[in-house]
Amino acid sequence: MIKFKINPLTQKKIKRFRTIKRGYYSFLLLSLILGLSLFGELMVNSRALIVSYNGKLYFPTYGAIITGKTFGLEYGYETNYRELRDKFKSSSSSDWLVMPIVPWNPYENDLKEGAFPPLPPDSSVGHFLGTDTTGRDILARLFYGFRIAILFSFLLVAVNYSVGISIGSAMGYIGGKFDLFFQRLIEIWSNVPFLYIIIIISSIITPSFFSLIFIMLMFGWMFMTWQLRTSTYKEKAREYVLAAKSLGASDARIIFKHIIPNTISVIVTFVPFSVASGIAALTSLDYLGFGLPAPTPSWGELLKQGTANLNAPWIVSSVVVSMILVLMMITFIGEAVREAFDPKKYTTYE
Amino acid sequence: MRLMLFLCFLLLVGGCSKEVVKSDLDKKIAAYVSVPIPIGDVKDLDGLKWETNNNDPVFSDSAAKKGGKININMSSFPLTLRYVGPDSNDGFRSYIDGNKMGLLGIQPVTNNFIPALATAWALGKNFNSVFFKLDKDAKWSDGKPITADDYVFALEFMLSKHIIAPWYNNYAEEFFEKVVKYDDFTIGIFTKKKHSKYEMLLNYGAGYVPEPKHFFLPGLDKDWVVNYQWKVAPNTGAYNISEVKKGKSVQFKRNDNWWAKEKLYYKNRFNVDVVEIKVERDDSVAWQKFLKGELDLFYLNIPEYWHVKSDIKSVEPFAKGYINKLWFYTNAPQPNYGIFLNLDYELFKDINVRKAFGHAMNVDKVIKTVLRGDYDRQYTSQDGRNEYTNLKIIPREFSLAKVDEYMKLAGWDKRGDDGIRVKDGKRMEVVMTSGYAHHQDRMVIIMEEAKKAGIEIKLNLMDGSTAFKSMLEKQHQIAWTAWTGGILPDYWQFYHSDNAHKKQNNNFTNTDDKEMDKLIDDMRNEFDDKKKQELSRKILQREFDLAVYVPTFSVPFSRKGHWRWIQLPKERGVNDKDGPILDPFVMGRFWIDENVKAETLQGMKDGKNFPPVEIIDTTYKRKN
Amino acid sequence: MTAYFARRLLLIVPTFIGITLMVFTITRMVPGGPLERMMSKMQQMDQSSNVGKSTNNNSNKSSALSEDQQEQLKIYYGLDRPIYISYFIWLKKVVTFDLGTSTRYNEPVWEIIKSKFHVSLTYGLLVLVISYLVSIPMGIYKALKHSSIFDNISSAFIFIGYSIPNYVIGIGLIVIFAANLDLFPMGGFASENFSDLTMFEKFADIVWHAFLPVTSYLAASFAGMTFLMKNTMMDNLSADYVRTAMAKGLSFRKAVVGHALRNSLIPIATSFGNSISVLVMGSFLVETVFNIDGFGLLGYESVVERDYPVVLGVLVISSLLFLIGNILSDICVALVDPRVQFSE
Repeated sequence: MIKFKINPLTQKKIKRFRTIKRGYYSFLLLSLILGLSLFGELMVNSRALIVSYNGKLYFPTYGAIITGKTFGLEYGYETNYRELRDKFKSSSSSDWLVMPIVPWNPYENDLKEGAFPPLPPDSSVGHFLGTDTTGRDILARLFYGFRIAILFSFLLVAVNYSVGISIGSAMGYIGGKFDLFFQRLIEIWSNVPFLYIIIIISSIITPSFFSLIFIMLMFGWMFMTWQLRTSTYKEKAREYVLAAKSLGASDARIIFKHIIPNTISVIVTFVPFSVASGIAALTSLDYLGFGLPAPTPSWGELLKQGTANLNAPWIVSSVVVSMILVLMMITFIGEAVREAFDPKKYTTYE
Repeated sequence: MRLMLFLCFLLLVGGCSKEVVKSDLDKKIAAYVSVPIPIGDVKDLDGLKWETNNNDPVFSDSAAKKGGKININMSSFPLTLRYVGPDSNDGFRSYIDGNKMGLLGIQPVTNNFIPALATAWALGKNFNSVFFKLDKDAKWSDGKPITADDYVFALEFMLSKHIIAPWYNNYAEEFFEKVVKYDDFTIGIFTKKKHSKYEMLLNYGAGYVPEPKHFFLPGLDKDWVVNYQWKVAPNTGAYNISEVKKGKSVQFKRNDNWWAKEKLYYKNRFNVDVVEIKVERDDSVAWQKFLKGELDLFYLNIPEYWHVKSDIKSVEPFAKGYINKLWFYTNAPQPNYGIFLNLDYELFKDINVRKAFGHAMNVDKVIKTVLRGDYDRQYTSQDGRNEYTNLKIIPREFSLAKVDEYMKLAGWDKRGDDGIRVKDGKRMEVVMTSGYAHHQDRMVIIMEEAKKAGIEIKLNLMDGSTAFKSMLEKQHQIAWTAWTGGILPDYWQFYHSDNAHKKQNNNFTNTDDKEMDKLIDDMRNEFDDKKKQELSRKILQREFDLAVYVPTFSVPFSRKGHWRWIQLPKERGVNDKDGPILDPFVMGRFWIDENVKAETLQGMKDGKNFPPVEIIDTTYKRKN
Repeated sequence: MTAYFARRLLLIVPTFIGITLMVFTITRMVPGGPLERMMSKMQQMDQSSNVGKSTNNNSNKSSALSEDQQEQLKIYYGLDRPIYISYFIWLKKVVTFDLGTSTRYNEPVWEIIKSKFHVSLTYGLLVLVISYLVSIPMGIYKALKHSSIFDNISSAFIFIGYSIPNYVIGIGLIVIFAANLDLFPMGGFASENFSDLTMFEKFADIVWHAFLPVTSYLAASFAGMTFLMKNTMMDNLSADYVRTAMAKGLSFRKAVVGHALRNSLIPIATSFGNSISVLVMGSFLVETVFNIDGFGLLGYESVVERDYPVVLGVLVISSLLFLIGNILSDICVALVDPRVQFSE
């Protein structure tokens, strides 16, 4: 695939994609958010960006924790930089520090006696979207929840497609009994209630990030397999494949060098939708309590909290709005990709 | 079409078979003839010192009026109306049990035994028998007299394989030698083990209930479980089930001819005529119904309900005094909520690590914040058990200094880059197994706080029964769980080395300690109640010293909202050990005042206000 | 063609066996089944109940069971035989229309399933009818007016419906219309006093309760179908045969109605078969959110509560519906599309 150069046709497609504003801007915006979220520790974090203490600079964001003792505090666990900031401010020393925009990490519980979570949004303490039922910052949890969900989804799409593409093209290429066997298997497999199985499995083991991907792969590979089978069938009958065959190219070479690159446009149009459904699936599982283990930040968990605490509307509304925005952007991208790769939908009667 | 035919066919088949079963069984019950039963040797009764108790204070209110109906809710419909056998152990069971009387009752203030189905009792010579004179007035709710036969049958019933309740079988097998009849109204219970007086009267007096032989015996065969699934058994209490709407509601009606209604300790109790228990699957819907008066009572145990949703300053029905609130502390036995450290896990073999661990669990923070300071810290594994509880023990407080101190002794004083302790290249990482998904909020706070102490706890949250299974197999490193228990502690199953390092028992900590073993054995072989209590307190001290159990939360109170017309007895200060106050069946001390009801309903129409009522009764609150 | 469908019908059998055998095996293999549930309940405590009176103060009931006793319980729950034999027995019963007895309710599984049908069917039918009635004309109109203001605005709404899982839409609707504006009930199928209402009030009550859940169901199915309709319509409009027809002098209107529309309905017809399984199954997530006691929720609860006979019963119904639905789809396609000649 790497050798697959950007040919003029693809360039044209990309150009067309860029003319579809809704999708193109969604793509830019989403890439930006994703890029930012990869460096999320610099924006949403309880660790300060820079601390100047006794004339020395510290950059606590990445790396080992810096204990309170380092900054002249009494405790030996990680420094509470928000308190440190207040301390610096109230003292007349020249020490200073810079906090990220949201000064909370997604795990810490902001609990004070006399104030009971969930607390409504309060920008003065940096809870721009309020806190959840255990006093964790909702914006921080949304943000890291997004990062986990989208990375999860990317990885899931990658494995699903790898398996789907290999089996699908093999089915299409080899055909015969092999094809028939997998056809039956897929028919049975896709009828097995996937959710039931996940519920049963995750009640006996606590799924981790990767085991959950594996479980979801078990039930997610069929779609791409089916698509690839069909397109391989089509490609197989094309002349260039026959030509390659007569030149003595091996089956593997034909599949990987010729057939898959030529079906790539079919594959690409499905990617955004698969990413969206990956996010939705993870969120649903978390919502039901069968997804990633607590206290992983997750949209589904926030949804669950939000519906259970409708009198704290900031929880449910922040997560529902974020979901709508993100999933809509992905869908816009998907539609735009589809249109760009499939020009005939452009023909209309004026 | 095929499908339709298939549907119709099923309808027909399903419809008929059920009817047949029903009528068969009813015929059997009607045709029942008594089977002769073993008679005891009257010599047993020679020289017995019979006791009774008619001198304790009465705990009902003579102002109580009979009548009215209350509506309460349950979260799901019962799976069966049987009280033994598969699926009988759900929440609904407590309503049935509440209407089953034992041979003896317990006066809730003095804790003395009082007559119930038996009028007098006497203990045998060797700590292994107890005798009862039955109340001749006692009748089943279907009018048949309750005689010695029903008590003899009760043991047969518990031993029967047909009830598919092996735990009952085991219990009966392990503890009962025999139950014998001397005459229709005198029985003796012989036990396999020896017991102190209190134990004997509690377990075989207050805890022994007759079973309606005429009702159960005819159908006691391999189909018993199915045939009796939805049958209402005659009972001995004030109410019995009168109407069942499958999936919707169960109605209990007061038995107007209840045999005990004029008896000393039962007068002026169980006043409401009808109790309807409706299924409300969703708590917020149930709450709305309570606010509208469709439900008369509602639990306010959850902090948010008490402090926010029923705030007497801002929430209308409470502010206007239509609904009153009662927070009533009890010192009833508490489930032993806590964290159990598995001593077979390498890390916890070191007692200093265990002690440090105890100091690293910030239970108080959870109580003070998310629980709004309402819940109490659990002190020991046996809180709320009178003299058996050791009030001197204060659980380890959250203290990073103490964690450091003990961790240093254990060689865990170094910390890694992420602040977690390390020793010989190993991180201090512990997996916590639990089946209590509803405690997740509390767990995550404790986990976060433990990080400050350099301990990383990972949560392994599973479905309740799967979690319990893995704990029984001792696969956990630490377990967040609890057992309910009666007033008498049983330490053998939790801490005796007989159960350590073996699967399928409740010694989740794998405690294997000579001193503990000796204390437990001593307590088992002691038949003097005072000494037994002392040993119990020593065992709890040992539990603390071994630092195998981190006590977490206890809820030593019952909080309810009740509509204004529900009247509480003047003498409210009765420790509701057996059941939360305002429970219609267990104590049944409240009543409905129809005049107040009319006044309130009229007042609501006219927008009239009544003084808001919020009572917090701390008479029985633990003082330290 | 008859031969083709006969073959398809026959193929249902191995597929059905494959599906049920797999789920059956899983339910047997994993821990946490009915037996273990009973054990943990008896040996530990029931967390859910607030009221606790133990008539028997002896806590020693918690002693563990002997092998023999466990075996007895296994027999009671029918877990004593090897998987393949149990499966065979189960299958034999299913063939004679007996789905077994629920381990939770001790009632015939069929009775339980039956009692949920009317709820799911009501919603299913409403959703099906409304979504076809609205999305087909809407899709056509959008295709004809591609890139118009109407098309763009409606697309934006449809996109929301398309991209958001329907239960999330449901949650959003509850927050806005039930919790805040108090216009609709928070959930349920009908009011508490349903039986006291007059005929008309009953109808109004159901509609009132159905409004939000049906809207959230619709949001998803409606969006998908409208897009499908619009896209295929546009495909066909740009197809050669439409051009030819118009070149031959047919009016645009006639070309659309006579040629493009008919062909555009083919993919919609394909989806019809699947709709019937959705019709009955509903979406348990929506049912959970709105607390609707339907078929989907039953399946979900039975899995969570490990009521395996019900799990399998639900599976039998749903997989049969799905498999039959697939064949129905093909029949629909054959009816709409004269080119299709199912002969292999």
